[in-house]
Amino acid sequence: MKTIVFLSLLLLQPLMAENIYERNCMPCHQDLPTSLQQMFKEYLLVYSGEQNVKAGIKHYLKYPNKSISVMSELFIDNFGIKKESTLTPEELDEAVNIYWEKFKVFNKLK
Amino acid sequence: MFSNQRAELSKYAYIQTKRLKVLHYFFPERTKYPRDPRFKSAIYDIEYKKIFSLLENEHVHFDKEIYRTNGYIHFVKLLDTYYLGTKYLIIEVPEEHAWKSEAWKHIVGYGFFSFVLFMIFGLMLSRLFLKPMRDSIMLLDRFIKDTTHELNTPLSAILTNIEMMDTDVMMEKNKKKLNRINIAAKTVSQLYRDLTYLTLEQEKKENRVEIELQGLIRDRIEYFTALANTKQLHFELDLENVIIYADKQKITRVIDNLISNAIKYNVRGGTIGIRLRIGRLEVWDTGVGINEEKIPFIFDRYMRFNQSEGGFGVGLSIVKKILDEYGIKIEVDSKEGIGTQMIITWGEQL
Repeated sequence: MKTIVFLSLLLLQPLMAENIYERNCMPCHQDLPTSLQQMFKEYLLVYSGEQNVKAGIKHYLKYPNKSISVMSELFIDNFGIKKESTLTPEELDEAVNIYWEKFKVFNKLK
Repeated sequence: MFSNQRAELSKYAYIQTKRLKVLHYFFPERTKYPRDPRFKSAIYDIEYKKIFSLLENEHVHFDKEIYRTNGYIHFVKLLDTYYLGTKYLIIEVPEEHAWKSEAWKHIVGYGFFSFVLFMIFGLMLSRLFLKPMRDSIMLLDRFIKDTTHELNTPLSAILTNIEMMDTDVMMEKNKKKLNRINIAAKTVSQLYRDLTYLTLEQEKKENRVEIELQGLIRDRIEYFTALANTKQLHFELDLENVIIYADKQKITRVIDNLISNAIKYNVRGGTIGIRLRIGRLEVWDTGVGINEEKIPFIFDRYMRFNQSEGGFGVGLSIVKKILDEYGIKIEVDSKEGIGTQMIITWGEQL
């Protein structure tokens, strides 16, 4: 009985997620050794500013390709390239905005 | 101007970049922005948005590498790898005035040194260029000094003997010849006196006496009469009684030279005018005149404008020298083909 409840909670979790980012991004990245925070920093290293970073992420999500990935070759070789995003442009924008707001450096340094 | 600061600020920027790199890898576990007592810094992203800043002066020029702003120097470093999204790293230090005074010291020091160097170089160069001219003048001076010394005795003998000759018993033909000898001897004598003044007498001590100018001028005209007669010149005199206090030898030299020039450069049958007033003497002639461009140079030594006339070109140089000695002004008004007027004016000093 306990197992059934646990499994059903696990299956329902994505549906209970608060926003599009948590529903569509976090589940897959949970399995990866590199956190979304670390990936965000990789994007910062390459793209620097907000508009650049967001454009870079969106482009990669739409057209995933090894040559434009910010991740290391070792990472790509081990975990491969993600599949193309199925989100609509609006959904993608929203997800990326949430991602930016969550990990941006502004106002975090002391 | 920022050469010293540039190296130092570049070093600071390099240090801060390394620290940003460390912070990037430990972010967000570590969020304390690296600080340094030697400088303040700020980081901006590629869109010029401030990520973090410790700057005293937030006015940043991203298009300049180094600049001064309100008492601070900013150094802008562009990062190739955007740690924490940083494209622009700004290093700020207070503007030190020490370098300014140091720079001024260098400018003044080196400036003075180069000025002295150029002066010495210029002097050497001018001496080198002027050496041939100086040598020839010295040679001429030495020659005149040596020869004039030997001229006095024979010249005195000639003039004295002419004076002593009894012209009453002489034939008219011989009288004319004697007159010519007299003129020639006086011309040589005039030249002799100029040259001896120039080389010997000017070194003598000044002997100021009361001079009655009118009388002196008449004496000198009489002396030159024979010479003036050869050109059939006539004098127009307008002399007042003027007394000055000066060295008679020197004033005689001035008057002699002015009259002899007026005779020498006059046309046949011309006029020589002398007008004497208190504080003013004018000597004019109806001679060939002097080219306007050459007037400023007429008082130069060995300067002669008319090669047809004899002389060394020292007469007016002596006049100027004597007049300068007494602070007397001389003006030259001359028109070619019309004549020359020499105006001497003096004040209370005589």
